[in-house]
Amino acid sequence: MVDVSTAKVTVTPTEFHFVKYEAQDIIDVVTELAELLGVANPIHVIVDETTPLSKLASEADGTSSDSTLTLRAESGALENTKRFTHFSAEAARGSLGRTLLRAKDRLRDDFADAPGDYDLTLAENAAWDTYCAGRLSRMGVELNKQRWRYNYRNRFGFSDDCDAAFEQLWSADGLSWAELAAER
Amino acid sequence: MRQFFPVEDLARDERFVQTNMAERMKDARTTVDIDAATAKSRASSNRLTPDRHDASDGARSLMHGIMVGEIQALEGAGRTAHDFAAGDGSGDTIPFELKLDMARQAWDEARHVEISVKLSDWMGTELGQFAENTVLFEAACSNDPILRLAGVNRALEGLAIDVFTQMKEFGNLAGDPYLEFCEDWMLADEVTHVKMGSDWLRKVTANDPDRRKKALEFQQVVDKLFSFGGARGETDESPIGLARRFRELAGFSDDEVDTISKMDSEALEERKEAIRAFHAQADAQPTPA
Repeated sequence: MVDVSTAKVTVTPTEFHFVKYEAQDIIDVVTELAELLGVANPIHVIVDETTPLSKLASEADGTSSDSTLTLRAESGALENTKRFTHFSAEAARGSLGRTLLRAKDRLRDDFADAPGDYDLTLAENAAWDTYCAGRLSRMGVELNKQRWRYNYRNRFGFSDDCDAAFEQLWSADGLSWAELAAER
Repeated sequence: MRQFFPVEDLARDERFVQTNMAERMKDARTTVDIDAATAKSRASSNRLTPDRHDASDGARSLMHGIMVGEIQALEGAGRTAHDFAAGDGSGDTIPFELKLDMARQAWDEARHVEISVKLSDWMGTELGQFAENTVLFEAACSNDPILRLAGVNRALEGLAIDVFTQMKEFGNLAGDPYLEFCEDWMLADEVTHVKMGSDWLRKVTANDPDRRKKALEFQQVVDKLFSFGGARGETDESPIGLARRFRELAGFSDDEVDTISKMDSEALEERKEAIRAFHAQADAQPTPA
């Protein structure tokens, strides 16, 4: 059992002007996710509140248990889509949960060759998102599987073979970057 | 049955949350480059195509917008069929044949709602997942039936032509056979709806140039609103393009499409100016210690 009591979460910015988000709400969600995913590393979340887009990225400044994990999120990734500019804990759980899982993957030796998130191809992104969303879903985080199936189909094709590959990836665990990248 | 239904009274269940243009435009975030300093992380093109990183989510959001737009178009056409007495088109009356066309349009829109619901399900979207902008129905609330034709059949349905063309192309490029096919089918109906509006507007105002002028001016106001701050336009800064060919088939002249394109550009520049002002205001606020 991993001791996550030391997981320290910080958020930038501390005050938001473009969206009605509270840094503490984001800290609460990430703290809960760190506990769920067994992550004890310090975590820094950087939100770009000037764009409504929803791109996410993760970085780890090392592979040790005290390496800082940086999660970057455009504000749309944490937003309540029924009420623009308002925070949604549910959306944040899904978005930051996937990103934290990516960061956790990056702590593994067999992910050393994984490109940075901004350098991934659209297909690599879709494969990794599917892999993360599947694991997150099995841990009890509420996600719409069909949304991720549609995202995967958009990158890999609308066919039975692609749907079978999606199911395999959604159910997978413990993959290396080489195995994940083989999805391309 | 009640006539002249206000937008606040539209029947929706608890899944739907409504918003309007004023609320929408208060959101000062942007995907367009307002200046070099904010160009970071913005896409090189905002056009909704599969090569955008957020392509599937963008398409899901737009599809939900189409679905609620179809509900409002159904409500608008149904109201026009009911709200005015049959007559020769003068005053508050409309020709009986125009009522029949509105009834047919309501039938088409009801089918579009069903198609859009199924497409949303296919794309992994729940009903009511995104806010519903009621601006489309607001264009259908005029007391003058000819202004409604201008606002709904020419401006709203014209926007539908642009949006369906964009989504059909998205489906084609992504290889999604259902999306491409369904959008193409609905697009064909929308071209007919615009043509109906163009024909009736000309016919009913044939001997009343002032009324025609007023209707076309109203259409321009609505068209600018439907640009959504430049979300529709001919440059890559706009997610939705202007479907010139299909608009031509629907009875828009080249001059009319040029005017709409110009208004789209103006709306985009006005939006950028408003966002620049908000950025300046935000920059002037003190940073917390």
